[in-house]
Amino acid sequence: MRSDSNRGNLSPFEAARSMSIAEASPGDPGYWSGQMQAVARRRDQTCFMRIYDHFAPRVRLYLRGLGAREAVAEELAQEALLRLWQRADSYDAARSSLATWLFRIARNLHIDRLRRENQWIAVDMEPLEFEAETDNPAFSSAESFAAHADLNERIERLSATQARLIRMSYFEAKSHQQIADELGMPLGTVKSSIRRAFLRLQSGVQEAT
Amino acid sequence: MTPRHHLDPATLVSHAAGALSPEMAAVADTHLEGCAYCRQQLAAAERVGGVLLSQQQPAAPEPQQAARLREDMLARLQQPLPAAANEPSETTNAPRSLDALPRPLQPYFGKSWKALRWRWMAPGVHMIRAPRSSGDTLILLRIAPGKSMPVHSHGGSELTQILKGAYDDELGHFGPGDMADLDSDIEHQPVTSPGVPCICVAALDGPLQFRGWLARKLQPMVGL
Repeated sequence: MRSDSNRGNLSPFEAARSMSIAEASPGDPGYWSGQMQAVARRRDQTCFMRIYDHFAPRVRLYLRGLGAREAVAEELAQEALLRLWQRADSYDAARSSLATWLFRIARNLHIDRLRRENQWIAVDMEPLEFEAETDNPAFSSAESFAAHADLNERIERLSATQARLIRMSYFEAKSHQQIADELGMPLGTVKSSIRRAFLRLQSGVQEAT
Repeated sequence: MTPRHHLDPATLVSHAAGALSPEMAAVADTHLEGCAYCRQQLAAAERVGGVLLSQQQPAAPEPQQAARLREDMLARLQQPLPAAANEPSETTNAPRSLDALPRPLQPYFGKSWKALRWRWMAPGVHMIRAPRSSGDTLILLRIAPGKSMPVHSHGGSELTQILKGAYDDELGHFGPGDMADLDSDIEHQPVTSPGVPCICVAALDGPLQFRGWLARKLQPMVGL
């Protein structure tokens, strides 16, 4: 056994941990933004495929929840990830986490698909992209990692009803009226519950700044 | 002008989630174009979406499917990058013509204020209805200055964005850029301000039939 390595003294758990610190691991704040920056700077395919392997199944699941058939969800998820690759230059870690950026791309692709399939008014542009104001400290990079973790925790702590309404909104893209009909709740109650849930989540974000 | 009446947070959540109908989204986007406050709120609501996306727990995909998709992705990475999208400079920086309708409304009503073809609905009230699309209703309304509307409440969901002119009601003064995103149980009686007509764009959830105050106002006159 070679004695020149400190690693020999570490438990497997600690060894794994020290390695992951050297390489940064997916749980680290800013890990995904870091991978994305490597994609933007060097067109690093390995980093990109790391992102792909982690997020593509999540995006597929999200799109399935919105009612896309498996084949459609597959295709849209590929498309979403490809856009990430193509537009890596315009990703700004200071503005949004990678997950949020990807969420917006996937959501917009979903909206586009709905409009095309239903032959609704052709809006021959992507749903408007509004950039968050960068001079707002709440949107600075360091904050956004903390805010992401904090939000995570806040979502876990929502009441069962609030969590359900938030999930029905985001994962099933249901309107307030549809939620009200489905759950047999008055429309006003649905709206006020979502409003309260959102304010609760938000106060978390603000406390983090 | 900084808007003083904003989108309901519950509406912003729906918008961030992609759960608004195209008509509702067009009215919300019209407000967002001119409202930094609501843009920030929207960004916060999208962050919730991002966190929820990362929380997804997908089952491990079948190895074959995973390999196929991965290969497909790697192949796509070899394709040349598309030319940089270079629309922004023109659309966002060019001074907007005074005649230009808000961008989110253009697919429904055309680009030009002057080219709008208003239809008379009732004394002092003109309207244009956007072509049917998703089932919700999208209308432009022009109400003569100094007119008092009947007391009314709103049936379902309704978003109204003031484009020109103004009105006052129990909730305050609504001027250009303001959004009336009202709960269905609120009763109010808008009175348009003197001077110029009040022009607003409204999205109503539901089919062609008008609800709420407009219906009550117009039903006897146009037999809706």
